[in-house]
Amino acid sequence: MIRLLFGRLVQAALVALMVGLLTFVMTRFLPGDLAYRIAAGRYGYDIVDSAAAAKVAAELSINQPALVALGQWMFDLVRFEFGTSLISGQPVWEEVSTQLGHTLKLAAVAILLSLLIGPPLGILAGLRPGGLLDRSLILISTGMRALPQFVVGLGIIIIFSLTLGLFPVAGHDHPGHLVLPALTLALGLAAVSNRVARDAMRSVSETAFYTFGRTKGLSEWEVFRGHGLRNVAVPIITYLGVQFVYLIEGVVVVETLFAWPGIGHALVHAIFGRDVPMIQGAAFIMGLLFVALNALVDALCHLIDPRERRT
Amino acid sequence: MNTVLKVTDAAVFAGNKQLVEPTSFELAQGRVLTIVGETGSGKSLLAQAVAGLLPDGLSATGVANLNGTHFDLAKPASLRPLWGRTLGILPQEPWLALDPTMRALDQVAEGHRLVRHLERAAALDEARRDLKALGVEDAEGKLPDQLSGGMAQRVAFAAARAGGARIVIADEPTKGLDVARRDDVIALLMKEVEAGGSVLVITHDLALARQMGGEIAVVLQGQVIEKGETEAVLSNPSHDYTKRLIAADPANWTAMARQGLQSEPILVADALSKTRGGKLLFSGQNLKIHRGEIIGVSGPSGSGKSSLGDILLGLIKPDDGVIARLPGAARHRFQKIYQDPPSSFPARITIGQNLDDLIRLHGLDRRILSALLKRLRLSEDLLQRRPSDVSGGELQRLSIARAMLLEPVFLFADEPTSRLDPITQQETVDLLVELARERDCAILLTSHDKALIDKTCDKVIDIAAA
Amino acid sequence: MTSPEYALPRATGFPVRRAAGLAILGGLVLFAFLPLLFGGPDPLKQSLRLSLQGPSTADWFGYDHLGRSMQARLSAALRLSLGLALLSVVTAMVPGVLLGVAAAWRGGIIDRFIGGISEAFLALPGLLLVLMLTAIVPDNPLMLYLGISLVLWVEYFRLTRALSKPLLLSPSVEASRLLGFGPWTILRRHLWPELAPMLVTVGSYGAASAIMAIAALGFVSVGVRPPTPELGAMMIELLPYYEEAPHALLQPILVIFLMVLALQLIGAKEKP
Repeated sequence: MIRLLFGRLVQAALVALMVGLLTFVMTRFLPGDLAYRIAAGRYGYDIVDSAAAAKVAAELSINQPALVALGQWMFDLVRFEFGTSLISGQPVWEEVSTQLGHTLKLAAVAILLSLLIGPPLGILAGLRPGGLLDRSLILISTGMRALPQFVVGLGIIIIFSLTLGLFPVAGHDHPGHLVLPALTLALGLAAVSNRVARDAMRSVSETAFYTFGRTKGLSEWEVFRGHGLRNVAVPIITYLGVQFVYLIEGVVVVETLFAWPGIGHALVHAIFGRDVPMIQGAAFIMGLLFVALNALVDALCHLIDPRERRT
Repeated sequence: MNTVLKVTDAAVFAGNKQLVEPTSFELAQGRVLTIVGETGSGKSLLAQAVAGLLPDGLSATGVANLNGTHFDLAKPASLRPLWGRTLGILPQEPWLALDPTMRALDQVAEGHRLVRHLERAAALDEARRDLKALGVEDAEGKLPDQLSGGMAQRVAFAAARAGGARIVIADEPTKGLDVARRDDVIALLMKEVEAGGSVLVITHDLALARQMGGEIAVVLQGQVIEKGETEAVLSNPSHDYTKRLIAADPANWTAMARQGLQSEPILVADALSKTRGGKLLFSGQNLKIHRGEIIGVSGPSGSGKSSLGDILLGLIKPDDGVIARLPGAARHRFQKIYQDPPSSFPARITIGQNLDDLIRLHGLDRRILSALLKRLRLSEDLLQRRPSDVSGGELQRLSIARAMLLEPVFLFADEPTSRLDPITQQETVDLLVELARERDCAILLTSHDKALIDKTCDKVIDIAAA
Repeated sequence: MTSPEYALPRATGFPVRRAAGLAILGGLVLFAFLPLLFGGPDPLKQSLRLSLQGPSTADWFGYDHLGRSMQARLSAALRLSLGLALLSVVTAMVPGVLLGVAAAWRGGIIDRFIGGISEAFLALPGLLLVLMLTAIVPDNPLMLYLGISLVLWVEYFRLTRALSKPLLLSPSVEASRLLGFGPWTILRRHLWPELAPMLVTVGSYGAASAIMAIAALGFVSVGVRPPTPELGAMMIELLPYYEEAPHALLQPILVIFLMVLALQLIGAKEKP
């Protein structure tokens, strides 16, 4: 467990390194007049002057030797000193921390929803491979995975919001707003996790210990409860770690589609406006969220699998 | 005598194809019945049919009478209520049969609690008593991957019987075990018999049948060809195949050894030592191998036989000591025959492809291969197949042909027949020795079977962990 | 009683699913590249007179909101997606496999060094990396290509290393070395036949996720930008007209669906 935690700490350090390096390179690639443009965005074209442009350049520490600037840049990053947004002028940390709250809410509901849909269906299919449920699930999952997430989102909007009028499309002030974006994310996750669960259930039900459970005299349900459930849960939970890549990517797209004021949405906006401090803050926090979710998976595996507890 | 299991006309089919012909047998209380046959003879299918455990795609006919109740073997589901309660089915590989995420004690207690419907505490007590009776009380809190092979075997045995079954079916219970653990399993089964239980054993191992006593049935190509009291059948076999089977037991081989041969040494090892996993395998090991000499090494697994051979071939380095090879002999004239034939060929290409590569690499004559194949009684058609599509015995002979192509002066044969059936084993060893003698090639032969080594080798060496 | 003595015969021949996938993909490739040979309408030429005109016998695909030929735009967008995906997959596969074999073969410090670099790329979800790269030089498909390749190579590396390591230690490779075979034969006869099926699977899934990523970025307007035809961007452009002209919105969706479906079918491992 200690070793796993240490691994996650290393991962967090790598996230900082990658985000820091990329955003630093970004500042070096900003054309000179971009500083001017960003300054113009902040002060209006009328009053912008070379002094304001120089201020922006200083904020991005463009005028220092590269290595010193990089060192300063990384040092600021690990202290969560992202500076202020070039576009809104607000401190990045303030903006990102409110957005993080929204994203966490969305992600949590999406994960729960996907766990309610995917693994139970997959386990049922895995108990009878080749059966009707199994074959229909293969068809649906393959179809779902061949559709980009925003298309699934669009379909959901068209069906639930525009046609049936059940849920609102955009906004974030009451829980109803959460349903459609979370469902979009959850369906994408479940389309994969049901296959993982199905394969896991199938291979567990083919093991010698599963057969031995039966020949010991246990009923099918007793074998499943005693020897199936825990052994299937381990790969499903482990695979959640892989799915978080997909979740974080989905958050970017789905938040933009539903105008959900989370970090993914903010990141896209910042990239569009080349707002380097915001890009840095949003990407770093999203990266850390990814690491934290993975650490959570480690902890869950630890709880479920007694083999893990020993080490 | 009280008959507990009477099987009448049990047969197994794959579609319309009959794999096991209608067979009848009886098992009495406190007795053993051993079904003996080679791989593919249908002996396991017969047992699986009786237990209602045939794999998908296979079906059975016939009737089993258990303690006076009739069961139709064509309806395997009707046999399921017997599992654990009347029929205890011993898993073939106990390590794999235990749930890797459950403590040993709980796996045994399951039978008491869920099958015999005891209270949880009482079930745990019973399980503890079972483990103690088998001498593995310290296994209770452990997970399967912490158990030694012998412990896992006992835990699985306790778990299989916890539901109260008094008829035990054991399919190849000693497969792949070395001598010490094999005797362990036999003792376990005999204990069951002495306590009044009945045991049905399926095996290819005649020695096992002899030790278990009771009755024996010999199966050949889906047909029982001989049946009777084990002692009587083994001392006075009537069927030809039974005779061959008995003759194939290394203990009954005629000795092939030639003594007193002295020619030039091809490999001289001086004061070798090797430690593996913190355990000293041998030290100060001296060895001189002469041309055409067959040297045997025997011992349980993990004793360092393989390491010694690998060191002689230069595959691993000794911790200490030196090896001198015959000057002038090319490296590729020192070859190895592996324990598991399929794993010694590239898995995804045909065997012919592999041998053609070899012929091209060393500029050999293709006719030598043809001659070798003929000599080893191998069909040229086998060359079109991949290793996974050839039987173990044929594949091992192919690997002998492959090694012989390079005219080796030294061959390290590492348990070359331990995965083969007895008759195939005898043929393979005979051919290997014959070819080596003809070509004046020295062999270092390892085996866990002391009789095999004694009968085959000119000289037997001890591995010394001095 | 775990090992049946009798095994049902294995299914042989070319898997149906893979054949279906190749057929769909082949159709899409023809649709995308035939206009280059035979000529066709300009995907950028606007003609407001034709705005949102539906499919007809003369023109099966109709026109978008600016009166541009949907057929021309779809095939141009397909060329971009397929071309970029293929290029990224090849760019990722070659070094990924070579580094994987090198790490497995040499082990030790080389293994740990390359392994460490691959960990760094895995620390961050792939799309974030691609997003940030596109922010360095916006509006440039080259950055997309670079980003996607940088994300994809890690999987080839890890899988190649994981497959090769036990194989190189296996008795069959040891036997080949004893028989005198050199590294080239071991690569060709032992490693390659095991790696090739994995590469088909990972390659087609990788191409599918590259296509998805390009479309997702186009959709959030940070990837390829209008007026360049790109499937994701086309969808967001056509979304406001979904009631008047559903055919226009459905076409890029269908094209992406078919493309990814085909790649999934090609990559699917045959399971009983």
